[in-house]
Formats: sequence, C-alpha cells, structure tokens
Amino acid sequence: MFRIDRRLFANFDWVLLLLLLLICGMAYFSLYSATYPPKPWGMPLYLKQCYLLLIGFSGFLFLISFDYQELLSWNYPMYGLIIILLVVAFYMGKSAGGAQRWINLGFMKLQPSEPAKLMLVITLASYYSRNEILDGYSLKDIGIPILLTIVPFVLIMLQPDLGTALMLGVIFVSMTVFVKLRLSTYAILSGMAAIVGAFGWIRVLKPYQKQRIETFFNPETDPMGHGYQILQSKIAVGSGEMFGKGYMKGTQGHLHFLPERHTDFAFSVWGEEWGFVGSVIFLAIYFFMLLWGLNVAISARDRFGMLLAYGIVMLVFWQAVINLMMILGFLPVVGIPLPLFSYGGSSLLTTLFGMGILMNVRMRRFQTSSAKE
Amino acid sequence: MVKKIFKEIEEIQERDDEALDILKRRLVVVAVIVMIFTSLIVARLWYLQVNSGEEYKSLAFNNRVRIRQVAAPRGHIVDRNGKEIVTNRPSFNVVLIREDSHDIDDVLKRLAGVLHVDISELWKRIREAAGTPLYIPVVLKEDITWDTLAFLENHNQEFSGIRIEVVPVRVFHYGDLASHIIGYLGIINKKELAEADPEKYTGEDLIGKMGLEKLRENDLRGKKGSNSTEVNARGFEQKMLKSDDPISGKEIRLTLDVDLQQIAEGMMDQEEKSGAVVAMEVKTGRVLVAASAPKIHLDDFTGGISTENWNSLLENPKHPLINKVVQGTYPPGSTYKMVTALAGLATGAITESTVFNCPGHYQFGNRVYMCWKHSGHGAVDLRRAITESCDVYFYQLGQRVGVDVLAEYAHRLGLGEKTGVELEHEKSGLVPTRQWKLKQYKQKWQDGETLSIAIGQGFDLATPMQVNMMTATVANGGKVLLPQVVDSVRDTDGSIVEQFHPKLIRELTGLGRYLALIREGLTGVVNNDHGTAKGARIEGLTVAGKTGTAQVVKLAQYKGLKDENIPYKYRDHAWFTCFAPAEDPEIAITVLVEHGLHGGSESAPIAKAILQKYFEARLQAFAKEKEEKKIKTVPGGVRP
Repeated sequence: MFRIDRRLFANFDWVLLLLLLLICGMAYFSLYSATYPPKPWGMPLYLKQCYLLLIGFSGFLFLISFDYQELLSWNYPMYGLIIILLVVAFYMGKSAGGAQRWINLGFMKLQPSEPAKLMLVITLASYYSRNEILDGYSLKDIGIPILLTIVPFVLIMLQPDLGTALMLGVIFVSMTVFVKLRLSTYAILSGMAAIVGAFGWIRVLKPYQKQRIETFFNPETDPMGHGYQILQSKIAVGSGEMFGKGYMKGTQGHLHFLPERHTDFAFSVWGEEWGFVGSVIFLAIYFFMLLWGLNVAISARDRFGMLLAYGIVMLVFWQAVINLMMILGFLPVVGIPLPLFSYGGSSLLTTLFGMGILMNVRMRRFQTSSAKE
Repeated sequence: MVKKIFKEIEEIQERDDEALDILKRRLVVVAVIVMIFTSLIVARLWYLQVNSGEEYKSLAFNNRVRIRQVAAPRGHIVDRNGKEIVTNRPSFNVVLIREDSHDIDDVLKRLAGVLHVDISELWKRIREAAGTPLYIPVVLKEDITWDTLAFLENHNQEFSGIRIEVVPVRVFHYGDLASHIIGYLGIINKKELAEADPEKYTGEDLIGKMGLEKLRENDLRGKKGSNSTEVNARGFEQKMLKSDDPISGKEIRLTLDVDLQQIAEGMMDQEEKSGAVVAMEVKTGRVLVAASAPKIHLDDFTGGISTENWNSLLENPKHPLINKVVQGTYPPGSTYKMVTALAGLATGAITESTVFNCPGHYQFGNRVYMCWKHSGHGAVDLRRAITESCDVYFYQLGQRVGVDVLAEYAHRLGLGEKTGVELEHEKSGLVPTRQWKLKQYKQKWQDGETLSIAIGQGFDLATPMQVNMMTATVANGGKVLLPQVVDSVRDTDGSIVEQFHPKLIRELTGLGRYLALIREGLTGVVNNDHGTAKGARIEGLTVAGKTGTAQVVKLAQYKGLKDENIPYKYRDHAWFTCFAPAEDPEIAITVLVEHGLHGGSESAPIAKAILQKYFEARLQAFAKEKEEKKIKTVPGGVRP
C-alpha cells in the first residue's frame, strides 16, 4: 500500500510546492516582525513556528505516500475521532470557565475545530462521490451531508466560536452547490436558512457576537471597543502606502496598536511594512496557488479526487477572503485566520495536511481507478 | 462475451468522463469567482494604501502617542480643627492583559494560590469581560497586600500578562463617622456621565454618590493629569513626550467637631438607638454635630454595594439609609411650646403673669384633652408652664391665638421650611394652617385640632435640624442663622479658596424680651426641681432645654400600658433640645431618639455628654476653683 511508484516522482507538482514554500516563507518573516521583540519567557513564536512547519511538512509527505482513494475507507472513523475531540474540548473548556477551545497536548494546543474543517471537506467529498446523482440532488439525498455538517457545527457553536462554525456552513454550501442540487431543493434550503438565521440572531448569538456584527455596520459608535480592531487594522494597512514602511518598521504593529497582530490580523502587519506593491505580490502568489489548486481539481482522475481538491481549495479560499475582507474593513471581526499566514498551530497543520492531499490528487492524476484494484 | 464486457466498461467510462466534464466546466466558473474576489481585494488595497494612504499615515503617526490619564488625588475631608476624616491611599489591583498572556490556565492557577482566592473567581472576572478587546485590562483582584505585591513584582516574569495597577481609594479615619454627611463614591453611571463635563469624566471614573462627596464633587475632584508618551511593545512607555501633572482636589473643612460627633454617635450606637443628634453654635449657625443613627458602613458602598447588603439596609426597621437629621420628620411635641409661647407673648394674648388653671384636663366642646400630669398643675404662669410642660396651659393659649397665628410664628422660627443646610434631600416638615387643611383634605379646620397643634402634636412635623435651629434662635435672641456644615474649601497648600461666613436668614426684631422670658422657663426645665429634664443638669454650667414627646399613634389600646409592654414601633419618639450656658448661650443641641418614649431619660444624657465635652475646659476650671474654695474654708487653715 505504501509502495511508492517511481512514476509518482515524475508527476510531483514542483510548482505547487514552490508556491507553498513561498507563502510559508513570507508568513515566517512577517511573524518574526509581528512578534518582535520576543517575550522574555517561554519559547519564542518564530522558533515554535519552525517546529510547526517541520511537523506540517512531515504530515504533508505522509499524506502523499498513499493513494487518496484510501481516504474513502478511513473517512468515517476519522470523522468520529474529530467529533470526540470536539466534545472533549467542549467539556475541558467548560471546566476551565468556558474561555478555551483547545486540548492541551503539551507541545501545542490542539483546536479540534481546525481539523474539523478539513474533515468535513473529506467527508462530504466521500459522500458525494459514493452517491453520484447527475441530474441534481433532492432534499432527501442531502439529508446525511446536512447531518454530517450540523453535528460539528453545533459543537463548535457551543464553544462558542461563531466564525469557525459558520466556516463549516460555507464548506457545506460550496461543496453541495458544486455537485448540483435540484431547483426545488434550493428553494426549500434557502427558506430554511432564513428561518434558522433569524432564530440564531434572536436566541443563539451571544451579546458580544451581536455587538461585533452591529459595530461593524456602525463602527463610529464604539471607536475604543470593537470598532477599534478594524479601525487600527485599516490604519495599519492604509499607512503602508505604495511601498510600505519597511521590514520591522511598522509602527502600528510594533507599538501594539494592532490587536492579535500575529494571528487573525497578521496580514495587516504585512500590508503596513510592504505597502501596496508587497501586498499585491503576496496576493498574486496566494491566489495563484488557489487557481493552481483548481487546476489540480480539473486534472483529477476521478470524481472523489476532484471533489477533494475542489473542497480543499474552497476551504483555503473562503477563509482567506473572509480574513482579508475583515482586515480591510469589509466584514466584522469574526475570528477566521488567513491560512498559512496567520500564526496558529492547528490552522497551519490543517492547511498543510490539506495541501498534502491536494498534492496527492495531483500526483496520481494519470493512474486509473481500476489500477488500484 | 468478453467484447460485451469491454463495451460495458467503455460505456461506464464514457458516462463518467461526461460527468467529470460537467464538473470541470463548473471548476472554470469557480476560477472566475476566485479571480473576481482577488480583484475586489486588490481594489480595496489600492483604495486604502494608495488613495487614502496619506490620511492613514497621519492617523498612524498620531497613534504612536498614547495619552494616558493620571488620576488626581481626591480632596481630603477634615473637621473644624483640621483632623482628617477622609483621605486617600493607593490600592494595588492585579489586572490581566489577555492579549499578552500565555498559558493562561497555568498563570491563573498559580495566581489563585498567591492571592488565596478560588480560581473560579478569576475565571468569572475574565468571563464578565468577554467581548471587550483583549488589550483592555481585566481587574482580577482589588487591593492586594504589600506581601502579595512584593511577591508578584519579584516574580513578574512567571506571570505573563499579569500587571499591577495603582488606584487611589478613600480611607475613613474615623470609621463610619458622620457617614450620612460624608457620603460615598461610586462608578459614574450613564445618566451622570451624560450630565457631566465630558472633558472631566470618562466611563470608569468615580463620582460622589451621596453626602458631601456628591454635593462638593466639583471641589473634591481634582483635575486629571495626562501623560503623552510614545508607547512601544507591551504598552510600555518608551519616551515621555508631554506631561500634565494632575491637580489634587480641594480640601473640604467641615464645621463638625469629630470629638463631639463621636460622643453623639457612640452613645446612640451603644444603646442601639435610632434617631438624630444635632448641635450648632448659636451665634454663627455652624453645625458641630450632625449624627443620624444607625450609621451606614461606607466601606460597603465602595465599588458598588451588593444587592444583599442593599436589601438588608432597605428592610432594616431603623431605616439606616435615611439621614434623620434633615430627612426625618417627627411631631415636635412639647419643644413646639416655644412657638406657642412666643406667639402668645408677641400677640399680647398673654403676659408673663397670665395664669391658667390646670386641673389635669381641659374640656373643649364635647372632648376632654388631658394634661400629661393627670393630677394637674393647679394655677400656672408661663414660666412654670414651660418648666413643668403643662399641656392645659398651652391648650388654652393655643386656643386664644389660633392656628394661623401659631403657624406664622412657627415659620418665623424656621419650621415648615427647609433650613437650607448643605445636606441632601432636606425635608421641609409641616406647619398646618386652615387654608392648608382645606386644600389638602377639602375639610374645614376643627378648632379642637388647634389644641393638638399648640403642644406640637397632630399635623405638626419638624426635622431635628429645624428644632435645633429654632432652639438656637430662641437662645441667641432672635437671629435665624443658616446652619452650615462646611467651614471652608482649601487648596492643598492650606490657602483658603472659599470661606463660609455666618449667614443671617432673618432677625425677629422686637421679640427679645419675650425670648428672654421663654429662656427663663427653659432654664427651669433643667434646673428647677419640678423640671422635666433634671438629668441634664451640670454643675458649673447652666443648661436650658425642653423635653418633648412625639406621638406615634393615638391607639387607645396602648393607653395606660407600661412602657415596656408597648410594641417598639408604636412607642413615642423622645425629644430633648437645649442650649448652654443659659446666661450667654453658645451652643444648642437637639437629640431625637426614635421610639425613645422619654426625652428626659433617653435623649437628655446624650446632650449632657456633648455639653460636658464642649465645655470641658470651663468645667475643669470650675471644679478646680471649687476645690480651692473648699480648702480655703477648712477651719484653722490647715491644709490636709
């Protein structure tokens, strides 16, 4: 099973790897600046990031070593494991006062909601490739995918982590729309979504979550509170002007006006230090990688590979779009990272593993499904 | 056969390829969507960085300067002799900057051990702050001890994200002394913030909520200073750019005397009495004692009172939240006889030699009004009527002058209207007239009611402050002086910013000799063997005063019962109001003990104790003189 065919090396996608390394490199330099000077205690974050990258790329290598078709037989046990981790994190968080979403593994804090996103992509890809309906899925056909999405959705919502929970919804919609629904199913689903949304606003959202959304639409009402983050982020990016203030010279980041500048707001630091030119170069590389990923999907040898590649690209794409729009003042602060760029072990590992699967699909694009049998 | 299978496989593959082709076409659409979003983001970047870049650059530059407000020490409150009643001290609070904290579980676990609190308490504080930006500090524990402070400062590297904040808090040097007068501070609420000067107050500021802390807020509150600093990592200041020192609040010097106030409060508290004690300099109107019992615990209010505490205060039958000095209104009882006497003399209804007969009761219409002394006083003139507090005398006198004339003189002596003392929510009491009753009850005045009014019962209501002011006016010969509790406002260097001089509200001209006559009667109350307040007698000092009983209910079922058998809340209030020395009065003291029954035994001793302290020097000199006289009179001149 782990025998690596020689032809696989010939089919290895060096472009994808180069793009990936470029992005991780830029992220690494930016992280060094954003967290400078390092805190006097504990391991500096740039060193931690080194270890995380090491683990991430090891996982990447492992994930290209077997045919992605194997995932079809593993996806449900893995799905179950993630659900258990979410439940554990929920109860651990609850006993610690409800202020945490992670499981402490000693060397890192695992946020199960991050792998849950990737797991949902794999699970939905498996389901839709097993149950192929060409003329559109009916409501009954997507009952199981809805259920598979709702369970982790509710668990993450309870943490409470609105942003990540909504991300699961975005993945579900992206994948389900892609495999095509019946027209009537669309109508019913959008009706239901409206009702659930209204109910959620009234009953489920915590006051601070509502406030964030309200502040977004009217930031002047609270310049020192929730509007503050968005305002400071816009100031950081805007003051970068055309060519930026130079590496390590961003005042917004270094003087700590930017909250969470190495995690969710990491790109603000980049924008401030490298300006419009640097930002566009970064975005060009980043979105070229995503388009390349879509190319992987197009070239996939079968429906499962295509759905996997597409789902992983969408996972990265939507997170990036939401994060960037938040940083640039288009969206409220929702706590979605910029994959590969924001500091955060769980997110980085999840994204790198996803990229491993993408590479896997790419490398095996010429094999026939029957060759496996 | 084989051919057929191959054909089938081919067909399946063709169908699969067709399905994949459909999906491939969709992927192209997705690629277009990705590119649309990319251009949108690039366009936004262009707008922010190139179009508005300059604007944001200047915003970023201004951002580097962090203006931090420095709290101004609040002004002290001292007594008339400069003894400190309320000052400030630094309180060291432990705060958490969530953004800077790693391993928050671990830090909190160790911190809980150091602070000796339960970790759930700390989590609770953090949860309450959920939703606020992470760079805003969360207060975990207020007012830590020096030992804890030293430990945390020495080990600050091990507590990431934990910082110490210094905040000034009030210190009460005499505990809850004059708690109703001093008042307390609390965090400014929305309404107060809306009314306040936005340059002076911000969201978390403390503001006076009660008493002089509230009334004198503008003096006590200083002017905040500010430090403009360039801040660097972790919010540490890098370079001081500009610094405006805070200006301390001004000192409020009270007219109160803490020694006298302590005596008054101590005696009220000792016997768990509820009521009020007021003492005033009769020649200036300066208040020496203003005590309301029971006191409130000011520390309970610091930083917001708990609901539990608040409810227990509300439900307490002794109403500790009411400042009874100016907010408690009671029938003035026999102390009101000063008004009736003055009205009678001034209108010529009686002279000093007018005599009424007291058989112990007085028949009016078909009702019999009793004198407190059922056996009767016999033939009494004004002096004796006051001294022995003969009700029948004043029934007849009241009837002669009528309710409206009584009201006129009551008003002249300061009853029925606010005294204007600088204390909150002062009540004006009640002085009834015919017109008032018609308006209030739509009923005609009953002449019998005048009889009750004449002895200070019925509709009459007065505050202890009003009765004290009335006593002072009788004592000083007709000057109605504004009672004052603040002597001066001073700067921190001791220079006087504002000095309060005695203020004459009105003078009762041409009544001097009548007041002197009333004073004679009042002197008898204490010094005559038939007087009702012999207990207030002090050797070496002539005290003049008047007891009074304020009827709480007129229920027949309690008549004739022994005192201790009457339920507490139905017992009468006990007044004693006095001045001394009778020859040239300096101080007037009024004591009201709620449900105290007897002014002579319950209220007079408190006044006596205050007098003994106030005239301490004079009484000591007197005792010494007396001792010397004794020695001189020893026969043979042999010294013992």
